[in-house]
Order: sequence, then C-alpha cells, then structure tokens
Amino acid sequence: MAAMRHARLLCALVVCGCVGAESSSANNSGGTLAISTGGDPDVLIPSLVQSVVGAQITDMIYDRLADIGDSLNILSDKGFVPRLSDHWTWSADSLSIAFHINPNAKWHDGLPVRSTDVQFTVASTKDTLLGSPATSLITNIDSVSAPDSLTAVYWFHARSPQQFYDAVYQLPIMPEHVWKSIPPAGWRASDAAKNPVGSSQYRFVRWIPRVAVELAADTVNYRGAPKLSRLIWSIAPDFPTALTRLLSGETDLLEQLRPGDVPEVAKHPELRTKQNHALQYSFTQFNLRDPVNHARPHPIFGNRQLRRALTMATDRVALVRSVYDSLALPALGPTVRAYSTTDPNLPQIPFDLPRARQILDSLGWRLTTSDSVRSRNGRPLEFTLSVPNSSKIRIQFAVLLQEQFRQAGVKVDVEQLDYPVFLEKERKRAFDAAIGQWSTQPSPGAVRGSWGTAGSRAASGNNFGSYENPVFDATVDSAVSSFDPAARKALLTKAYETIIQDAPAIWLAEPIQTVGYHSRLQLTTLRADAWWAHIPEWSIPADKRIPRDKAPPSASPSTPPALPAGQKTP
Amino acid sequence: MLRYIAQRLAQAAVIVAIVATITFALIHLAPGDPFSAVMDNPNVSETVRQTLRAQYGLDRPLPEQFVRYVSLLAHGELGWSFSHERPVREVLGSALPNTLVLMGVALVGSFVFGILIALFQVSRRGSVTDHVLSGLSLFFFSMPDFWLATLALLTFAYWLPIFPVGGAVDPVMHEYWGLGGRIVDRLYHLALPALTLMLLASAVVARYQRAALLDVLPADYIRTARLKGLTEPEILRRHALRNALLPIITLVGLSFPALLTGAFFVEKIFAWPGMGYAVVLAIGTRDYPLVVGGVIIGSIMVTLGSLLSDVLYALADPRLRSR
Repeated sequence: MAAMRHARLLCALVVCGCVGAESSSANNSGGTLAISTGGDPDVLIPSLVQSVVGAQITDMIYDRLADIGDSLNILSDKGFVPRLSDHWTWSADSLSIAFHINPNAKWHDGLPVRSTDVQFTVASTKDTLLGSPATSLITNIDSVSAPDSLTAVYWFHARSPQQFYDAVYQLPIMPEHVWKSIPPAGWRASDAAKNPVGSSQYRFVRWIPRVAVELAADTVNYRGAPKLSRLIWSIAPDFPTALTRLLSGETDLLEQLRPGDVPEVAKHPELRTKQNHALQYSFTQFNLRDPVNHARPHPIFGNRQLRRALTMATDRVALVRSVYDSLALPALGPTVRAYSTTDPNLPQIPFDLPRARQILDSLGWRLTTSDSVRSRNGRPLEFTLSVPNSSKIRIQFAVLLQEQFRQAGVKVDVEQLDYPVFLEKERKRAFDAAIGQWSTQPSPGAVRGSWGTAGSRAASGNNFGSYENPVFDATVDSAVSSFDPAARKALLTKAYETIIQDAPAIWLAEPIQTVGYHSRLQLTTLRADAWWAHIPEWSIPADKRIPRDKAPPSASPSTPPALPAGQKTP
Repeated sequence: MLRYIAQRLAQAAVIVAIVATITFALIHLAPGDPFSAVMDNPNVSETVRQTLRAQYGLDRPLPEQFVRYVSLLAHGELGWSFSHERPVREVLGSALPNTLVLMGVALVGSFVFGILIALFQVSRRGSVTDHVLSGLSLFFFSMPDFWLATLALLTFAYWLPIFPVGGAVDPVMHEYWGLGGRIVDRLYHLALPALTLMLLASAVVARYQRAALLDVLPADYIRTARLKGLTEPEILRRHALRNALLPIITLVGLSFPALLTGAFFVEKIFAWPGMGYAVVLAIGTRDYPLVVGGVIIGSIMVTLGSLLSDVLYALADPRLRSR
C-alpha cells in the first residue's frame, strides 16, 4: 500500500517537474484550498445565484456594503462588519441610511467602486425582468440615491428592525460599468456572467464546466490580501467520488459529511472534522388539503387530532439517532437553534405510543382483529410518504417512520421520486405527506413564506402543506416588526408553540454541519449561514505546504480582464 | 456501394428524426421543470418564475415549442442549454471530444485485448486456463457498468491509490504544467475510466471471437494448413483469425451503442466531462434542449457505427461486395 502511495506521489512529482521551478513562499500567505463539490454553480451573478456552490463562489468574488457578524444578529446594525462601506450614518427618522464607500475599494478590473454601482445593484435587483430571487426580500427598500461618488443613500418605505440587514445582506454590490449595457434578460447568458468582475478578496480565474472553478487572491485588495493564494472548487456530481477525492488527498475540504462518512474520515490521520450549527431543518410535512380537490380538507390530515396522534407515535429522538448518529439534533419546530430568538426548550408533543393509539381509537380509526391497519367506515388509515430519491437521509427517515407508524396501526407507502418530480408534486400540492428540508436565512421571518397563510394561498407559494393559522401569522408578523429583542423572542416562541401544537408536520432533525478537511488547513469560525464566510482568513503554514500549494500566483493563466473600451484605470 | 451508403444514410436520418421527436415529447411530458432549483427557493415569487419561463419560451404550448425546435434544427442549431447558459452546440462540442477519446481508446483496446484473449483460449481450448478465462469473461460480461466503475474507483483510486479520482485533468495543477506534464496528466486521468470500459467490452469481444474461432477450426483449409506443417500459432493467426474476424466486424457496430450508454454512467462516476456526463446531469435538471441534443448526437453516432460495420463487412467479404 505504502509503495502504491509512493508511486503515485512520484508520478505527481514527475509531472510537477514539467512545471519548472516552483517558488516557495516563506511568508504566511500562500497555499491552495481545493474544495470537493457536487456540481457546477448555477450562475456567478450574485443577484441571481440559487445554488450553494454558486453562493460560495460569488461571496468570495463580490463584497457587500457590510457583512453580518458571526452572531447573525439582524436587528439594527449591531454586529455588522464594514466591507465596501467603511462607515454608515442613519437619518434621524431611520427611514434612510447613508453608506460611505471605502475610497480604496476597486473592482478587479481596476476601476474604483462608486455609489452609482450600489444604486445600479439595487435598481437591477428590483427589476422583475431580471428575475432575481432577492427581489421579494428587498421590498422595503424604496430606492437608492447617490449624492456623491462615495455616498449611497438607501431610502426605505418604513422603519423596520431588520432594514439594515435587508439593505446589506441580500445584495452583494455589482459593477455598473460591466452590466449596464446588457439587458436584464440576457445577464445569465452574457460573457460577463462567465467572467465575473467583483471587488472582494478573490478574483475570478476560470470556470471549466463540470470540472472546476478557480479563484486567485486579489493581492491589491482594499481589505488586504487573503491568506490563501488560490481557491478551487473541484466538481464531481457523484457524492462517493467527491468524498473519495477528499480521502485520497486530491482535495482539501468536503463541506457536508454524511454520518457514515465520519468514521472513514477518522481513519485518515491527515484529515480533521469540524462541526457547526447550520440553518437547516427537516420535517415530515402533512398535506392539509385533499391532493385531488384542494377545496376540501385532506381526508386524513385535515384533522388536527390525528396529526397530533401521528406525531405522538413518532420517536423523533430515536429516529434522529438512527439516521444521523450524533450529527443532528431533533428539530424544535420551523426554526433552528442558531437563531438567538429560538428557545431551545420549546415544548414539544411528546412521544407516547399508547396515547397515540387512544387518540386514533377515539377518532374512529380502529383496528379490527383480522387486520394490522386501522380503518374507519371501511377506509384504511394509509397514506403515501414522498421522498426525493437523491437523499439517502430522507429515504432512511421514510423507512423508519413507516415502521413506527406501523406500530400505531397506520400503513405508509414510501414513494421515492426523482427530485424534479418530487418538487413538482409539492408545488401542485399533489401529495399526502412528504419529507422536506428548508435551508433558512438569518432572519426568522422567512418562516412566513414556508408556513404562513400567504405561502399557502399563493398559486405557487412554498407552504406546500397548506397549513393556515391566523394566530401563527399574526404572532410572527408582530415578532418580525418588534424592535425589542426580548419581545421578539417571546412572540416567536409563542408562534412556534402554536404551530408545534397544530402539528402540520413532524419536526425531524436539525443537522449539524460536519466539514471534513485536511489538517494542514488552519480554519477559523464556520458561520452558521455560510461556513465559507471566513475563508479569506484561513491559512496553510509554510512548513506544511504540499506541491499544489506552491503553484506560483504569477503563473496564473488569467490576468485581470481588460478594461472596457474607452475606460482607463484612474 | 455508394448507392448503398446513401440509402443507409437516408435511413439513418429518419431514425434520428424519430428518436429526437420521441425524446422531445418524453422529456417535456416528464414531471418537473428546468427551474426546479428556483422552485425550491422560498424567496422566489411567482412573477420571477413566470419571467424565467417566458424568457426560455417554456410558457408556450408544447406543439409550438416543438415547431420552434425543429426550425432551430433546420438552421443547424441545437437550442440553448438552460443549465449551462450556452448554446447546446457549444456544450456538446466541448464534451464530445472527451467522449470520443474515452470510447475510442476503450473500443480499440477492448478489441485488441478481447481478440488476444480469445486466441490464447483457443490455443489452449478445453484446458483449465480456457475454462477460467471463459468464466471471467462471462463475469465481466454480466457485470453492470456503474458497479464495475464504482469498484474500480474505490480499488485503484482509494484503497490502492494508483490512479486519480476522476476528472479528465487535475483541476488544481493542470494549467500550471508544461505540454509534457499536461499530456501525462490527461493520460493518467484517462487510464481508469478507459480500462473500466475496456474490461467490459473486451469480455464480449473475447466470447464472440472465441466462438468464431472454434467455428472455423474444423474447416478444410485449416486441416490443409496443418498438413502443410504450419504450427498451431501460425494456423490460428494466419488462417483461422482472418476468417473468424467477420462476426467481430459486426460487433464493432453493436459495441458503439453499448459503449456509449456505458460511458454515460462511467463518465458520471469518474466525473469525466464527456457527453454522457453532460446529458445525465441535464436529465436531472430538466435541461430539455441539452437532453434532446445529446440524444440526437448519440443516435447519429450509433447509426453511423452501424453503417460503418456494414461497410467494413462488405469490404471484408468479397461475396457481399459483389451483390
């Protein structure tokens, strides 16, 4: 085995010999971070990006005016860190915020960042022709004015506790001079989308579809050069292939290890794992409306008591332990523990199988002596549980739930679906029950879209189970508009308690993100909403560098892109 | 011969058109949407969704979409890939050479290797070695391609780390190496997927070739060769093999579709950026034009492979040539 490893190393060294002399940097900056990832980014335009890998890459290329702190506070501007804006001032009535742009900030093509870039970013994101998912998140921003080249003033429709968050978090700033001549409908297909020009600490080098995306350190960045010289996302659509790349040393980091992978990683002394709470939770969602006739309640799940009985029949602690081992906690509700507003002791419907059986009996769903499935008026208590076949975790949950419900006399048919088909069924509300997962934003207000009445009634809203409760809606609305953190937390707790007791879903798991990485990497904090946020601060000590860390930045095939015709570097 | 080729080409065009039409209908009728990722985002409003559908013409009735697509085809275009945001022509144009290299190496390698195994078996026919090799070729013949690919990846890239874990090049270092380094890098990455496909295909070739050789061995001209005092290897090489090659030429045409479909899964597992990899991902993302474009190119390759084998067969057999 060792001989094989040496043979491979020798081969790599022979190939390296073709490079020519490598420069070895003695200082602290340098090194390459190769990230195993499962697919190409969807697009490298921050206002259009949807995929996680796309967000990782655009966040490295583009800067916001200010960045959210590790505490994920979204009230006022507390905890936010200056980025393109080195300071900001609030108006007396709080209906506008003036962001003062760092005069040293430059785009990667050499032009300075100006307030008109900020103005352009907001205006283009609000343009429905662009189709940005951020549009619905910045409705409180009326407009942006640019009184001078280094001041951008955001004007809001109304005071809101999270108006600063809305202004900076959703909108990485884009260069007006690159995009203004391209019609919004043509952005995705434009050359500019394939050669993004940003202002952050890494600049774009290349994107070879289905192979890799590469960024290089911007050594003259206004925030200083990042510690790692190169970032590479190495693409492998097959998860075992992506994992094997980490295990074999071809890559340095895999962002989401599955429970079964952790022991395998532990066998490699050169690999480490690091965990952090993520903004994700999974659930078994009941469809409260009839899948065929949406005007009618679902014949089984329309009944609140029955949903509570099914929740009682579910041993969530055992489920989570079986599926995730220690890499997840039972979900608390439609929220995550990383929110400071989430009470970790939210009361839950307890696991109580005898009580669940009693409730089902009382509702008329009874077991006959000859059958193992309950029935009422000749109708058996059975339903279909849909899961996407791409998720091994959700399939495991489905099988375990099937067994737990069987013990309560409920028959479940597990239906594994191709992911687009799964989504289509959810969107058309054509399912009985489905195992879903939401990745949320730092704002707890996101719960309105996925569990609120508005999300239920909109033709393609995301409250697929059609849960509606005006008390829940009103309490969340009050919480989101409250400026007092204590009142906000109390109101959200009340809202969560309401929805937990209504049981529109069985809250399954809150995964703990487990990153596998090479021990030569020195990681800092993994932020809950974006583990990659602090990559510019990560480093590789000079004495631990391997050949790929030493590829000289000067050998980078991409020089900064040429300026557009007629423009000069100031 | 030219008339025959022209007829076959006309047939091939009809077949490709039928395959493309069926694929277009099936992929559009399949549940799902090219903007599934967008649908999965709770922040995306209905307006945005409608805007995206309209931008790509997906709000039009299916017959209208089909007419538009046919019109594009008539102009030599394959449409616009939603997932790559590039013309399908460009996406497949960059992927096809990778697939052809992989398939070409596997095809040539499998025929050379398969024929050599068959010759070796026939020279020791009835022996334990012959039986073992027959068993092995049956084993690989029956093995699913994706399973062998996964096994090969785990064995030779992880447990015995001789080869790299997929990809066509080292994404980290390739661009920084000189020409020699880049060629070595490409060959190094090609080896394992090509060997996997080669192993699968050579099992078929070996079994066919062995049977064909055993068929010709009782022939009079073989007996005559023996009486002339030729050695057994000479008989096999100079007389038996030449006459037993005709069924193998047919197999060349049949191997094309088998290798192409095999390459779909092998490319995905080895992250080999070829046409199969692109089309498999396109099916998952409901990238309709890319799927249909891939199927069109694939069916052209298959029909051309079949035509090639027919022509080679005719050239190799003077009796067919004269008809």
